[in-house]
Amino acid sequence: MTAYSDDHIALAAEYALGTLDADERAQVETMMSVDKHFSAMVEAWQHNLGVLNQMVGSVEPRPEVWDKIRTAAGLSEPQAPLVLPETPQPLLPVAPEVTAPAQVADTSNVVDLSAQVRRWRNVASFATAIAAALVAMTAVGVYRPDLLPDSIRPKPRTQVVEVPTPSPTPPSAQYVAVLQKEGGSPAFILTVDAASKNLTVRKVGAAAEPGKSFELWLISDKLPRPRSLGVIGNDDFTTRPILAAYDTDTINTATYAVTIEQANGSPDGNPHSPPVFTGKLIETVPPAVPAPAR
Amino acid sequence: MLTPAELVWLMAAVAKGDEAAFERLYAATRAKLFGVVLRILRRQDLAEDVIQETYVKIWNSAGRFNPGLSSPITWMVSIARNRAIDIVRKRSEASIEEEPAAMEAIAESPDPLARREMTEELKRLLECVGRLEPDRQKLVLLAYYNGWSREQLAAKFEIPVNTVKTWLRRSMMDIRECLGL
Repeated sequence: MTAYSDDHIALAAEYALGTLDADERAQVETMMSVDKHFSAMVEAWQHNLGVLNQMVGSVEPRPEVWDKIRTAAGLSEPQAPLVLPETPQPLLPVAPEVTAPAQVADTSNVVDLSAQVRRWRNVASFATAIAAALVAMTAVGVYRPDLLPDSIRPKPRTQVVEVPTPSPTPPSAQYVAVLQKEGGSPAFILTVDAASKNLTVRKVGAAAEPGKSFELWLISDKLPRPRSLGVIGNDDFTTRPILAAYDTDTINTATYAVTIEQANGSPDGNPHSPPVFTGKLIETVPPAVPAPAR
Repeated sequence: MLTPAELVWLMAAVAKGDEAAFERLYAATRAKLFGVVLRILRRQDLAEDVIQETYVKIWNSAGRFNPGLSSPITWMVSIARNRAIDIVRKRSEASIEEEPAAMEAIAESPDPLARREMTEELKRLLECVGRLEPDRQKLVLLAYYNGWSREQLAAKFEIPVNTVKTWLRRSMMDIRECLGL
């Protein structure tokens, strides 16, 4: 490795830190383009200082940003835009006395077809709902977690919109489970893609206590004991391909449960608390062939 | 957030042109990158532009990511942050008007890390930063997190720009020695 003067080293470091002015930054970029050792030094600084990003809080960009990226990057399969109606309801309604879901005819509750100028990929898109009076495991809906804004927007009903598709790739069935305490608010929402068997957990309730972790389990009468699906991370979403080890029938009929374990999860593969939150999967998007709205 | 190993795997798939992997990579990393650039730019629209450019660049140059030299998230953050800083430096004469909404989003996001969640690399760096004099610790961290120029730092610390220059340089060299680079 070339020996660089302190001036060069400091320049590389300050470039990575970000304190150089525009001219100096341009100078560093020129040097990087002609000197791969210098470039490597800058990149090393960027990595060494860049770990500070772990302390920066996350902020969700608007869903439209992804559409722009798709277009700008020239990706081939644009998605159906999902338009969720505005709602004044809070994320998790705190009105357990309400005994029946509100019946509301809401015609604004649509997937926006008119904006669609590109090819459709999805056969069906769902708008999702966690109804105001969600007491038992009734919430179902769509679920494209990557398209939704920070909060899940509750809606009074679920609607299926069928969209003709020229796509050769039929969408796979989507399953959703809402895990909650008996009579309590939803704490986790599981979505499973039947084809990829990818499991996504969205945390909508509180974080685990310090020193404890939430661990997800699959409980099936086809299996002798609960199987761990791993610790649920502190991020809003945890996605894992972990269900690939199980057959579809087991996945669809199992009960999913969350226990409170020591930090980083159960050490021996067995749950150490009673299930705190439980739920089962409900099919929300049927596979391939469009089915009538339910 | 996916594990670093999962991100490396996704990055390799993205390098081969796997669009589904790119979408997953975006889903797993967008909020972190947006948080970083919004803190620097303090304007939603500018931050969104930077995010867009950043991910297009990631899509086009994922093959250049070297897992031996960096982690995917740090590499991606570097791309986004460099772009954001280029913008604020070029606009510095017509200083960017901050958006209250953007500021709120930043203010709401805490520094979410308990010590046990930090990577070893971050702990090492923070130890080294911690050995600097208190003012210089703040200087370095404000420079990184807010993307401030020397002039902005000088104003904040009420010291001459040349002193900022000296402090930054000395701090970087101390950190370098501490990290054993």
